[in-house]
Amino acid sequence: MSQELNRNYTVLKQKADPPPYFLSYEVTEQEFHSVSGTLGTVDAANSGKSRAMDVSVRVGTPKLDNYHRVRGDRGQFTSGALISFEDNVNSIKRRLWLETDRAYRTAAERLIRIKTNTQVRVAEADDSDDFTTEQPSVSVQAPPDLKFSEAEWTARIRELSGRFKNYPSVLTSHVSAQGQTDTKYLVNTEGSRLEHGRGFARVVINASAKAADGTDLNTFETFESVDAAGLPDEKTLLAAVDRVANDLSRLLKAPDAEPFVGPAIFSGRAAGVFFHEIFGHRVEGHRQKDESEGQTFTKSVGVKVLPDFLSVVFDPTRKKIGGIDLNGWYDYDDEGVKARPVNAVEKGVLKTFLMSRSPIKGFEQSNGHGRRQPGFEVVSRQSNLIVESSNAVPEAKLRQMLIDEVKKQNKPYGLYFRDITGGFTTTQRAGLQAFKVIPVIVYRVYTDGRPDELVRGADIVGTPLASFSKILATSDKPEVFNGYCGAESGSVPVSAVAPAILVSEIEIEKKAKSNDRPPLLPEPTTMENNTRGGQR
Amino acid sequence: MKPLVVLGALAGVLGALLALSAQGPPAAPDPVFQAMKDEMDRARSLTVSNLEAPYFIQYVIDEDDNFGVTANLGGLLTERHDRFRSPEVDVRVGDYKFDNTNYVGSGFGFGSRYDLERFPLENAYPVLRRYLWLETDSSYKSAVEAISRKRAALRNLTQSEQLNDFSHAEPVHLVRDFSKPATDRDAWAKRVRSLSAIFAQYPDVKNSGVELESSVGGYYLMNSEGAQVREPENVTYLRARATGQAADGMTVRDAVTFHSLDAARMPGDAELKRGVTALAENVVALAHSPKGEDYSGPVLFEGMAGAQILAEVLGRNLALGRKPAGDGGRGGGGFLNSELEGRMGARVLPDSFEVVDDPTQKEWRGRPLFGSYEVDREGVMAKPTRLIEKGVLKNYLLTRQPVRGYEGSNGHARLPGPYGANAATIGNLFVSSTDTVPAAELKKKLIDLCRARSKPYGIIVRKMDFPSSATAGEVRQLLSGQQGGRPVSMPILVYKIYPDGHEELVRGLRFRGLNARSLKDILAAGDDSAAFEYLDNTAPFALMGGAGFTAEACVVAPSILIDDLELHPVEEELPKLPVVPAPDLVRSDLVR
Repeated sequence: MSQELNRNYTVLKQKADPPPYFLSYEVTEQEFHSVSGTLGTVDAANSGKSRAMDVSVRVGTPKLDNYHRVRGDRGQFTSGALISFEDNVNSIKRRLWLETDRAYRTAAERLIRIKTNTQVRVAEADDSDDFTTEQPSVSVQAPPDLKFSEAEWTARIRELSGRFKNYPSVLTSHVSAQGQTDTKYLVNTEGSRLEHGRGFARVVINASAKAADGTDLNTFETFESVDAAGLPDEKTLLAAVDRVANDLSRLLKAPDAEPFVGPAIFSGRAAGVFFHEIFGHRVEGHRQKDESEGQTFTKSVGVKVLPDFLSVVFDPTRKKIGGIDLNGWYDYDDEGVKARPVNAVEKGVLKTFLMSRSPIKGFEQSNGHGRRQPGFEVVSRQSNLIVESSNAVPEAKLRQMLIDEVKKQNKPYGLYFRDITGGFTTTQRAGLQAFKVIPVIVYRVYTDGRPDELVRGADIVGTPLASFSKILATSDKPEVFNGYCGAESGSVPVSAVAPAILVSEIEIEKKAKSNDRPPLLPEPTTMENNTRGGQR
Repeated sequence: MKPLVVLGALAGVLGALLALSAQGPPAAPDPVFQAMKDEMDRARSLTVSNLEAPYFIQYVIDEDDNFGVTANLGGLLTERHDRFRSPEVDVRVGDYKFDNTNYVGSGFGFGSRYDLERFPLENAYPVLRRYLWLETDSSYKSAVEAISRKRAALRNLTQSEQLNDFSHAEPVHLVRDFSKPATDRDAWAKRVRSLSAIFAQYPDVKNSGVELESSVGGYYLMNSEGAQVREPENVTYLRARATGQAADGMTVRDAVTFHSLDAARMPGDAELKRGVTALAENVVALAHSPKGEDYSGPVLFEGMAGAQILAEVLGRNLALGRKPAGDGGRGGGGFLNSELEGRMGARVLPDSFEVVDDPTQKEWRGRPLFGSYEVDREGVMAKPTRLIEKGVLKNYLLTRQPVRGYEGSNGHARLPGPYGANAATIGNLFVSSTDTVPAAELKKKLIDLCRARSKPYGIIVRKMDFPSSATAGEVRQLLSGQQGGRPVSMPILVYKIYPDGHEELVRGLRFRGLNARSLKDILAAGDDSAAFEYLDNTAPFALMGGAGFTAEACVVAPSILIDDLELHPVEEELPKLPVVPAPDLVRSDLVR
């Protein structure tokens, strides 16, 4: 990689017009094994190994180069082309050369277009550079080899997925396990030389059903770890299967949620997703510069954006919290910048943004949050989002506070969001600056001592600034949500850690639903059991 | 036909397997068939409120154990192994005269969507039942929705002719075991790696790759008319592709594919090596050859190119499509029917020509035929079909979808088609002429013609880009840039032949206006015959990897000399050559 980097860079610098001022190669090697099953049988078993290459070539100057954003339009130069996963010099060099040539042409063409564009448009509000200067990183630390016993997991998947046989109301269900190792190699013309990486292991349990009114219902639970050995034991996983199945059975019988505004508690996991969607995406640095973005917080540095008892840190160096592996850690980001904790909000006050090597006004350095999926261009992304609170109360107390708030507001009930699958947020100026998050398990909490009532079909809607001002208190117990976040630079592993939060006001609306009828005929084998004897 | 990665071959090559069929007392019932049968029996009573019950149900389950490996210049790029089963559930409501298919909205998933992406791999009866139950439910709801929309749409339209929607077929019972030969993955990886390293000796080859796909499995089929089929389907292919760049920036490319229905009968290392070496040499020669010029006159399609042009221009037009009802006469949806539609009884080839498609023939001159199969995807036995007699069109390749003038399948439904139907493709297409000349004479004949017409040179085509190894972008360009009629694939190896007999390779030419009608102008056929094997699909130019399903096909045909064809140089903006020269290639294969 280094040889080809230097050779291409030297010749391009001498002969190409415009010449490049920066060249970088990142290779992501992925090896995986996965097994999936349903109802005690295996329905997929896959494995594979590959290496994808990302070429970043910058032409122009750090002041203005081919990566310059023009009203939301970002250049796409890398293609994530495959290169040999074997250490074959001919093959790797050839492909690097071909990709460099392709990326250089695209880059040169875009720079010329941008130069014309900047001449005809009004000046941009943020006239910061296009590329930061960073110290080169040099480190070689190969991740541990992938360890995943297909035989062992096949047996476990059979047992776990077979457990769903006890739940006839579940229409379809799957349990899958995957082990993966990512190794990243990075070289650039500033002298960075990196080899680093990590393992991922995951168990996903999901189930779906269709209610009599056509509503499609899904429940799921996932477990993440750095390696398969770190995944939970059988007892924990079986209990999770039971939980997923029972939640689904209860949802089938639950009443529909009605549009509602009032106080609510988000469980720690739900609060984590809430912060990730509503807050995290809006402090991604590149959004502050792009004039098509809503720029909710662009001018808010030093200003209170959250209640003063809350702090938010993005910490890619934390691997575990409370014994749970976090999904969003890494040693170096995809621009070769060393990972470091970023205190985004201290005591309610916004301090900084998540930065890649694309600078913004007032923030001239990366803080190691430039990330991507192979084949995408890097932008600033979240890592492990951790919400810390100085107004923390035990969970029972928080619940009592909710009940008090419901009474105070004279509402029929409050809401408890136990699980949220994810959500959407529009950060683009042209769109509505709103968010929608999708809860799976929502309870109505009554003030008169009635048990909590599960409801289905609610989506949370809101606007970011208004929502943050309504946080009243948090619990004292952080919970971890591990997942994958999709945005401009593809899917990246992330975590969100937060205590449960109490909000004085949240709005839910009815979810779109299907009008199809549930299956017309009853489940076949149950029926067969009932009528066995006459049939065969 | 198989889904996704590859699809298969109705094997049928192995005499030994035949012994297993339908003889002796049936063993314990196959749980797949049992589940199909039980669920089908139950599903017959399906009705939504006052809507009708299904009149036809068919289950097909493909089973595939798929191995793939790709390599570049001696290094593996990918290696993967997948096992999957993919079900296809066809539920029809209405009756044979009028049902939910052949309508613009047919085949869309109106029904309930269940999470059924992965069909169980194991033969657990209750699980199979459950999946078939949900698949049937979803398919039935789609069918009911489609037929009601179709009825509503037709209320406002008059159809010029009323064709039935589905034809009857004799139920077939053919149950054979899957053969499941073991795939030696390591050996294949090694072979692919070392074949890909051949290109390291050709620095002028800009990019190259070798890929292998080996698919082992088969399919189950059962329908409510009583058909029951279990057929092994195995197919292996190895393909090499290479590109180069001429001094003016034009990209040149070529590909070679080796196929077999039986991995054990794939060509040996020596033959593979020869093929890959020839490919590399072709690309280098093309990169250094001059650009071709406008030409109008006789063209000789020699050897494989004769079979290729007949596969593309004749083979693909022998299947009739059917325009769906309810598109409001807009002719939307890109529906393009066969160029041979409405030409039944007309002369389409010189009168010395006979064309037969015979999937039941297993061998030709001692070598296995790639397009052989026993029974098609609709459970209809493959039949030898005489398509053209004495140059006159006598029949088409037919499925159970009635088309104008034809009702009743001849067992050629091999790929999923549009609007709820299947598409017909060839199996083994034999094109022969009773009036041949020795192959060497053809060249002489071509020179004589050129002389007689005072042309400085004639054209010989030795290889067409069919199936095409073009990129998707290139295909789009070819399709949009063509005036008048359907374009044919690019000729890859085109030679000018001068009156003194010397030849010159040229690059960058395309045919203009070459179509099924051009075949009437065949001047002569050689006494040679080449068997050209390929994976057919429904994409333009049968683009490699261009569609999810493939059907194994073979065309046996002579060299042909066609009069009055036009070739023109490709006009496109060419990229400049790379600024940085290619890295040197080192000889040692694997440096660790």
